Amino acid sequence: MVTLEELKDNCRQILKEGKVKYIIGYKRKNGQYMTVPAFLDRIEEVDHLVWDPSCIYNLVRYLRDEKMRKEKEKEPDTRPVGVIVKGCDSRAVNILIQENYITRDDVYIIGVSCEKSGIVDEKKLTKKFAGKDIRKLDFAGNGKIQVTCGTKNSVVPAEEILADRCIECTIPTPIVFDVLFGEKTDREVPDPFKTIKELESFDTTRKWEFWKEEMDKCIRCYACRSVCPMCYCDECVADSISLAVKPDTTAEEKAHKIRWVEKSPVISENFNYHLIRAMHLAGRCVDCGECDRVCPVDIPLRYLNRKMEKESLDHFGYTAGMEPEKPTLVSCFREDDPEEFIL
Amino acid sequence: MEKVLLKKDLNSWAGKLGSYDIYAPFKSGDVWGYELMENQAEITLDYPNTAIPPKKILFPQREVLFEFEATQEGGMEIREVLPDDTPKIIFGVRSCDARGLAKLGKISQGGIEDVYFTRRRNQTVIAGLACHNPPSPYCFCTSVGGSPHSLEGMDILMTDLGDAYYLESVTEEGVKLMGSAEGIVTDPDDKQKADKEKIHSDSEKKILLDISDMEKINEALSEIFDTGLWDRESLSCLRCGICTFSCPVCHCFDVNDEIIRTHPLKGKRVRTWDNCQFPDFTMHSSGHNPRSDKASRLRQRVMHKFRYFNENCEEFLCTGCGRCIEKCPVGIDIVEVLEKAKTYEK
Ligand code: SF4
Ligand code: SF4
Repeated sequence: MVTLEELKDNCRQILKEGKVKYIIGYKRKNGQYMTVPAFLDRIEEVDHLVWDPSCIYNLVRYLRDEKMRKEKEKEPDTRPVGVIVKGCDSRAVNILIQENYITRDDVYIIGVSCEKSGIVDEKKLTKKFAGKDIRKLDFAGNGKIQVTCGTKNSVVPAEEILADRCIECTIPTPIVFDVLFGEKTDREVPDPFKTIKELESFDTTRKWEFWKEEMDKCIRCYACRSVCPMCYCDECVADSISLAVKPDTTAEEKAHKIRWVEKSPVISENFNYHLIRAMHLAGRCVDCGECDRVCPVDIPLRYLNRKMEKESLDHFGYTAGMEPEKPTLVSCFREDDPEEFIL
Repeated sequence: MEKVLLKKDLNSWAGKLGSYDIYAPFKSGDVWGYELMENQAEITLDYPNTAIPPKKILFPQREVLFEFEATQEGGMEIREVLPDDTPKIIFGVRSCDARGLAKLGKISQGGIEDVYFTRRRNQTVIAGLACHNPPSPYCFCTSVGGSPHSLEGMDILMTDLGDAYYLESVTEEGVKLMGSAEGIVTDPDDKQKADKEKIHSDSEKKILLDISDMEKINEALSEIFDTGLWDRESLSCLRCGICTFSCPVCHCFDVNDEIIRTHPLKGKRVRTWDNCQFPDFTMHSSGHNPRSDKASRLRQRVMHKFRYFNENCEEFLCTGCGRCIEKCPVGIDIVEVLEKAKTYEK
């Protein structure tokens, strides 16, 4: 199991040595049991660092902010940024490296293994412990989580309160890291694509009805895109104004920018946005589940991305973020790639 | 006018309101929202709070302003589109959200009248609901001039007495609507009056968040425009649109043409909600954006609500509903930011 004190000591050490600019980790949300992302640049702040089943965030997303900040600075501090990653998050780092968005030297990767457990789904947790004053969550080892309510501790099997993506996760240990805490664990998951099984069995009409209803709810707040570590484009086709406009972009060029998706949150445009996003994540999504978690109207976005992951695996034997030195799924051609869809 | 309506009679009252479109809280999955009710029997006022406030009914996320079509003669035919004038009732609006609608009403009258909002508001009756318990641990209406039973923006205020609702009319519209319940409602007795008063005063005490010295906030904010506070507090911000889309008073919008056909040109001019947290908000056509980073966007959100609007209209552009805190996916908390702003040492 990860020992928090060891993790903290390591963080203090690398800050002290000046090895990293700052560390992106987790800290307690003001007086609550859940956490918020923390940006630690002083040794004393490491005291607040947390690692427990409430560490829901994929912090790799913040490497994008770091890159943008660096690009603006005249003399940027080029030291790496420390980032705490779980298994899924580490694969996101790998993809950023694979796609040349960052280099391996830009990050100091502090891996934490989820072992046989993972991260909670707050909704499942608060339903199970409805009316109770939840104070703290802890890994209890062996696939169990300890929930402290008031002064009482209960130990529950992790899968009762884990996020669906953690239940289906087969890679709970970081793939890439500078330092790793916790054990490398293999996990037998009987049915890693259980989430989408039912939906896959629907006929086309029923699928259409299902998604139409879901798409109708979308308010296009773009939280799903904003939280995604893979959605790092300067210019997103979903934006009404192209953010890639620079002072030297000519009027001509601006006039010829195509607006692919209208800003109106109507079913057709919502579909448009979500299908574009799903396609752009094919072979890239690591199923960190963040888009699904943040949606304020509970659209099950994992269904879309999980399906794309399954397609990548079934047809091309490809799992995203495993081998950064190899080309990405959609940027390479292999002679033995299946071609049954080519007429 | 004050009346008492048995809970079991709510639906028969709604049944008498056939000429109105009735909106009420409705749960889909785990998420509550105001929906147009097709079946009065489904109306329930027993709900926490909706994810998106009722502003979406009077100020929809998408509004067609006019349609245009090129004519054979080379001109352009323009057809104004106005909201349909079916009268509406919104049941269950909480005090914070009703105050939000009142603020939006004032804004819609400032400078050039927003005819779309005004038209809808004029044909809408708000039958709101006082809160017994704050629906969210992040409620702070009492810190920003409101209360769980505020009448501002209401036409009728309903208070849950257990097996009945205590109805108080606030406006002429409210009196008229309550008139339609004649025969179903009764006059309140002294006990019911006292119960209602007690519920109101108890509810105020149950609000968990309290921001002190709000009268000093304007001054505090004016001193920290150019400080590192905003960088620090916005570090984790995702620049998504949840906080402002779910805000009962955020009202920024964008106007775009949606083209249906290019030759001959035909299309619609639509306005959609805009959002100060989006990177393309206030972006100039040169590509320059005066609010170029997350820090300046968070600052804009806080300053607009607690300073600029306060200076112009002598009230806050915030009703304390707590949605932006509860819904923020990374735990950014406007109350915390205000607390830090008050004590920030430059
Ligand atoms: S987070 Fe949900 S509501 Fe927001 S854009 Fe994504 S799918 Fe739509
Ligand atoms: S403060 Fe929170 S809800 Fe608002 S834009 Fe930032 S991440 Fe989104």
